Amino acid sequence: MRKIFFSLLKKDFKLMLSGRFFLLALGSLVLYSCYINFVYVKLDQEIYPVYVYDPQNRQSVTSEYVARADSRKALEAACADQYSVGIDFSRDVPEVYLLSCGIETIDHCRMIWGEAILRGNMTGRADTIGANNKEMKNRREITAEFLFFELSAVGFLGLASMLFKEKQMGVIRVHGILPVRRSMFIFSKLLLLLGADLLFAALLTILNLGFSYALEVLPAVLLQAGILSLIMALVGFLCAVRLPDFKQFSLFYLVLAIFVTTPVFLAGQTGAAREWIVYHPMYHLFAAMKSAYFSAPTVDIPYYLICSGAVMLLFLLACRTLNREMTKEG
Amino acid sequence: MNRLRYQLKSIRRDKMCLLTFLLPVIVGFAVNLLSGASFQSISETLFGVVQNETAEDTVAWLRQSGTVTQYETIDALRSAVNDPSTQMIGVLQAGSTIQTFLSGDELEVTRVIADTLPQVYENRKEALPVERTLIPADTDREGLKSLLIVITLVTAMFMGCTFNAMNIISEKEDGIALINQVLPMTTRSYVIQKILLGFIGGTVSTIAAALICMRIEPAQVLPLLLIILLSTYISALIGLFIGTFSNSLMTGIASVKLVMILFLAPPIFFYLIVPDHTVAFRLSYMLPSSATFYGIMDLLNRQSANLRPAFAALPAHAVFWSIVYKLLQMRKRTPINDGTDGFR
Repeated sequence: MRKIFFSLLKKDFKLMLSGRFFLLALGSLVLYSCYINFVYVKLDQEIYPVYVYDPQNRQSVTSEYVARADSRKALEAACADQYSVGIDFSRDVPEVYLLSCGIETIDHCRMIWGEAILRGNMTGRADTIGANNKEMKNRREITAEFLFFELSAVGFLGLASMLFKEKQMGVIRVHGILPVRRSMFIFSKLLLLLGADLLFAALLTILNLGFSYALEVLPAVLLQAGILSLIMALVGFLCAVRLPDFKQFSLFYLVLAIFVTTPVFLAGQTGAAREWIVYHPMYHLFAAMKSAYFSAPTVDIPYYLICSGAVMLLFLLACRTLNREMTKEG
Repeated sequence: MNRLRYQLKSIRRDKMCLLTFLLPVIVGFAVNLLSGASFQSISETLFGVVQNETAEDTVAWLRQSGTVTQYETIDALRSAVNDPSTQMIGVLQAGSTIQTFLSGDELEVTRVIADTLPQVYENRKEALPVERTLIPADTDREGLKSLLIVITLVTAMFMGCTFNAMNIISEKEDGIALINQVLPMTTRSYVIQKILLGFIGGTVSTIAAALICMRIEPAQVLPLLLIILLSTYISALIGLFIGTFSNSLMTGIASVKLVMILFLAPPIFFYLIVPDHTVAFRLSYMLPSSATFYGIMDLLNRQSANLRPAFAALPAHAVFWSIVYKLLQMRKRTPINDGTDGFR
């Protein structure tokens, strides 16, 4: 039995190689890492810049956030972005000038910021209670998101593309008469994909978090990656067996990408819309992945129970569907 | 025309296909349902306070500058502030003053506001002798919502690309490409038919999505239509590229995925981060989707004057990529000049 299983594994591995599966994963890895390291870590939103127009040099407002404007016109032009704040000292009473950004509270914030600059007392410091600085937080956050996206995409697509190839070649029909257990057929694919996904997760984490940080979170991350990979691969398997051709499958995949992952990202990035997102099953997988990256033990036993239940159920369903498909193929 | 009918006939049975083009329309509806207000709260400053331990007037004062969430215990507040997906500033009342705290991973704007807030709170009673001028916004900026609308529209245009690529590759896999070689059909007419399908589908779906989620003024109809037509043409052409040069569905869909990321991510990034007068921003017009993106964004924000670069870039892209495709086809064909005029 073991020999048969190994030959199945070998066959699937070759299929993945010929489908350029690893090359594509590598491409994604490079693309994501470049984006994270060169773009995302540098993202920031600066405080409202303050432009001061002071022709008589009456005020000595000096602060790292203040820039000088040469004329009233330059001041107004600088404030046209609906973000900056202008202070005009040309008349007796200084004027705080700003263009509304359309949101009342933000306008108010900008106004009191301009006044705070005028008063010139900027010595306060807020207490810091977290363990991450902004760069590490950005790295952890975006790596979790990319890994989630890539696992749901690759797990889903990878297995399906292999299966479609086999379907075309008539392998499913051949399997119907081979003395191989049906579950083995699914199991060998799952195992390979799981291995590939775990490798991908480890590489992505190490490349983007740095080795020492990555080592801390890797056990938890790999656990979540494994769960996600298994679930998505099985869902991909089910869809691939049921849907007649790959084109339809790829469209289904687009639907999945837009409706399943986008709301999760929106909720994850902005922290808004918490009320309804809890009914989104993928959100919990995403939240678990994120908390693994932030080493926050918020995931508890019911989650793991549900996940393992889902994997078992999907596996049984996949076996049944495959059986039915083989009967259909004769 | 007759041939186009055959093409349409071949996809008519494909329900999933029609669904692809319907998808942006559905998303358009969803975006439309979301009110601008629900997005507004995202860009506002978030304050968290402990219930019953914060004075009423402090909460009212904080409400002027942002959204205030009240927590029952200090621990709940601390964990909310620590949550990496929020930018919350924790505010504690200490007698007649306030104390702020952060998790330390916030954006600069949040950090500076949190640093200066206690000082500002102390000074709130004594008004500064200044004149405050607040010029009302001439357009109601919908911020994130208009961003979502543009993303939906660009995705709708991209559907033509996905459709074309998938259509061609699956025909290749089914052997139709081989049959085409012996049919009296030239490469040219095949290419035109294929482009046309994705082009029409993409255009219709984009226009439908635009009608649903944009309020278009009569003067904007023509520019918008031009942008849509040019962009869907380019995206149909990209689909043709992917379809012709990938030999299996897996490579095809991976290329579609990569192109989609390259299509959508840079314009959003440039739009949000890079100021629009810098060289980097101008260079971003090298990507066809950027030109589309900025063009529609300007139309949404009623700034028709800025449309010129988009109108320069899009036709240039259309012509350039058509020529590139033509040249590649010619190079591909020359070594196999065996007399058959068929499709290769």
